[in-house]
Amino acid sequence: MKTKLIRSLLFLVFIVLYPGALFGQNPSSSPVPQETPPVPAAPRPVSVPKPVEQTLKNGLRVIVIEDHDMPLISTQLLIKNGAEVDPGGLSGLADLTASLLTKGTKTRSAPQIAQEIEALGGVINSGAGWDASRASINVMSTKITPAIEVLADVVRNPVFKEDEIERLRQQYLDSLSVAMNDPGTLATFVAARVVFGDTSYGHPASGTPASIAKIQRSDIVDLHTRYYRPDNAVLIIGGDIKASDAFKLADARFGDWPKPATPLPSRSATNSRKDTKPRIVVIDMPDAGQAAVVLARTGISRNDPDYFRGIVTNAVLTGYSGRLNQEIRIKRGLSYGARSSLEARRETGPFVASAQTKNPSGAEVASLLVDEVSRLSNEPLKEAELVPRKAVLIGGFGRALETTDGLVAQISSLALHGLSLDEINNYIKNVQAIAPADVQRFAASRLDAKTANIVIVGNAKEFLTELQKRYPNTEVISVSDLNLDSATLRKATAAR
Amino acid sequence: MKRYGKFLALLLTLGLLTATVAQLAIGQVSMPQMNFRDRTLPNGLRMLSLEDHSSPTVAIQVWYKVGSKDDPEGRSGFAHLFEHMMFKSTRNMKDEMMDRLTEDVGGWNNASTWDDFTNYYEVVPSNYLETLLWAEADRMASLTVDEKNFKSERAVVQEEFRSRVLAPPYGRLFYAIERRSYTTHPYRRPGIGSLEELDAATLADVQAFFKTFYRPDNATLIVVGDFDPKQLDAWVDKYFGRVPKPDHPLPRVTVKEPARTAEKRFQEFGPNVPLPAVAITYLAPPAGSDDAYALRVAESILGAGESSRLYQSLVYRQQVAQEAFAQADMREDPGLFILGAILASEKQPIEVERALLAELKRVQSEPVTQAELEKAKSQLLTNLIRERETASGKADALGRAAVLLADARRVNTDAAKLQAVTTADVQRVMQKYFNDNNRVVITYTSEPEKPAAGAAENGKGGNR
Repeated sequence: MKTKLIRSLLFLVFIVLYPGALFGQNPSSSPVPQETPPVPAAPRPVSVPKPVEQTLKNGLRVIVIEDHDMPLISTQLLIKNGAEVDPGGLSGLADLTASLLTKGTKTRSAPQIAQEIEALGGVINSGAGWDASRASINVMSTKITPAIEVLADVVRNPVFKEDEIERLRQQYLDSLSVAMNDPGTLATFVAARVVFGDTSYGHPASGTPASIAKIQRSDIVDLHTRYYRPDNAVLIIGGDIKASDAFKLADARFGDWPKPATPLPSRSATNSRKDTKPRIVVIDMPDAGQAAVVLARTGISRNDPDYFRGIVTNAVLTGYSGRLNQEIRIKRGLSYGARSSLEARRETGPFVASAQTKNPSGAEVASLLVDEVSRLSNEPLKEAELVPRKAVLIGGFGRALETTDGLVAQISSLALHGLSLDEINNYIKNVQAIAPADVQRFAASRLDAKTANIVIVGNAKEFLTELQKRYPNTEVISVSDLNLDSATLRKATAAR
Repeated sequence: MKRYGKFLALLLTLGLLTATVAQLAIGQVSMPQMNFRDRTLPNGLRMLSLEDHSSPTVAIQVWYKVGSKDDPEGRSGFAHLFEHMMFKSTRNMKDEMMDRLTEDVGGWNNASTWDDFTNYYEVVPSNYLETLLWAEADRMASLTVDEKNFKSERAVVQEEFRSRVLAPPYGRLFYAIERRSYTTHPYRRPGIGSLEELDAATLADVQAFFKTFYRPDNATLIVVGDFDPKQLDAWVDKYFGRVPKPDHPLPRVTVKEPARTAEKRFQEFGPNVPLPAVAITYLAPPAGSDDAYALRVAESILGAGESSRLYQSLVYRQQVAQEAFAQADMREDPGLFILGAILASEKQPIEVERALLAELKRVQSEPVTQAELEKAKSQLLTNLIRERETASGKADALGRAAVLLADARRVNTDAAKLQAVTTADVQRVMQKYFNDNNRVVITYTSEPEKPAAGAAENGKGGNR
């Protein structure tokens, strides 16, 4: 029997609502007395599946987490580098390399790889994000042996054929042309450049039209040789499989993956980004159907001692009933949804608050984002507001562990950052320990809105005058002049 | 975010519609039956419940048999707008109290409006089951939305319209598909509505719609998870049993979409469309029909994954498309089978249209291979197992079977039916439903290429 959701729900008994605040306040003078909701029963106990691990002779770390609820297995090969190692001018190299893994090996063509995995009812995915590249497969448990053979083959033996590179290059360029016409996506690209400048988290992980066009086969082969090695990798297998069987499979398919004699590439901090003067940037897209509004600044790294203060602080702002959505959607009807994210990476990652709104409301929504982030540091937070926001985090964490994919993703994230796998058991305790004063302190010291940047992609003439009242130094860049390859954001002629 | 209709999900979710688990061996894996209980209260409320103690949570869903096709005349988008109102005040609950009872205790809630039904759903720690049963019964019995809430939430829905239709480069294409594919049936009105018809809606419409459709004899309550069946029955009797069954009749859509007799072609335009797109639609049989199984297999062979025929032919070999898809959007009444593609750069829509039709004709003129058939079944069955990893996934499957397919038992029988599909079945259904005289072809290109004013037909439910 599955024992999931950890102890999260044991804690929920303490999260009883504040009933007085919830009902009985309708003005209607109803003849029947109003009802209050029935109080919850005692919560039911639960426990956690425990990950086990071995390290193969070649340095490959193998982690297995058993979960026999459904006949499914999810497996992931994690490489501990990703888009942050894209060389200057070659944005998208790590992602293109990871995507090419499934496009041909010494013994299998791209169509054969797709055919083999899909005939098993499985899905194979590969790609690179920040700090990590991943190849993963999810199949029914009876199909794990052939599936993991394909996984090992694509990671170890990709051939990066020229015609496959060209095909994928064209697909990347085409999908970039779609992304660059979507105000929301474009705003996140611009925000990364504004926050991180020309440092290693500044470029789009999926590349830019200019960088994708420049990438050579030799760049791809070099990146693969340098980073795809057993002592820079972690194999995670989760689901309906015995740990002993999983270790045997891992050894059979990855045990003879040779460890190079060269030392591992250094992982020194190359990205320490000091906050610069905040920028207010408008990308003018005259036909935009909505304005995408983003507040962005530096946040925290995953190993920051303030990590749990950070994620709890963010939870006060984001989520359906978080402050941003309360103020922007629920109270004012200005957006379908407002949210924030605090993405903790190996080095300091971004904090982003965002919403899409009709063009004329662009400046108003920008002000609301700024004001809500500021309010968190300026006003004390009440325990009564914090308790339910912590419950949201804890509940979401528990649900993420209900599927084999979710379980593997959680373990993968801990492994990537060199954290103890026991952290999966400490998450709830760590969240619960955060007090209102911690949130206020974190917001004031780490999320200061005064040093945050603002990016709006939309039809500038509908909101610019209003925006300039608060921000006279707004930079306006026409979408046709936008250059994501440079921190200036402008094409060379314009920058001169 | 939350409370969305089917719109974004259009291309993503429907592949799961045949999802079912039976006592069925796939390799050595044997999947358990869903031993659900099925009871109906005297007021007509139907309840389906399934115990699952794998985690101390419970999924609660209420499916109402009212959807976008029931939008009142001149009120396109109303069923969806109404769905948003169900999170506002009731006689016993303040605005957004549903969020206090779910989100604030570590659970979640949402709702979605489909063409044929609207479902409201929550997952909460199982000790909150009684609380949520009370709350769902309370909003079924009373809704007290005021003018201020109504206007503010309508503005949210209009922003949702902009986020789904106006802002994304292909939003207007997907918005055009239903408008161009039906002539008569109310499915012709996109569920997201239009800004004008949303503006025309009133608070009185809200109360009338609530009174007409939100009633126990038009609802199916589904509970899956960690509960005691006797206790559940007692709570359901207590809270839902007292909701009165109204005397007035339940209106049902009876309009039939006429068979198509000639190809129709439409050109649609949008700003910021970097690459043109093509969509070809056909009328599909109802979701509950016997032919749906073979169509599901055909959909998978044509469009699921990189080994699919459309990907291999259009994206990989010919490189005329950046993305290609096949989608069987089956509904209670005739739905749509859609083939489509976003073009690769510097290709012409006509090349891609021909390439899509060539693949369609190939499935009609010669049987698919046994290997393709087995692959499709393996994909479909794996998807349904994945869906059932969670209590809410199991509840979704029960709801679709009971409400859309009109037979809850199909959660336990559909997998075997899917397994029984032969290559001849696939060829037969492809020949039966698709020919040169019953397709609608929509091409979608960038605005500047739009012909002079008046030349392009301007359909109902326009953008501004």
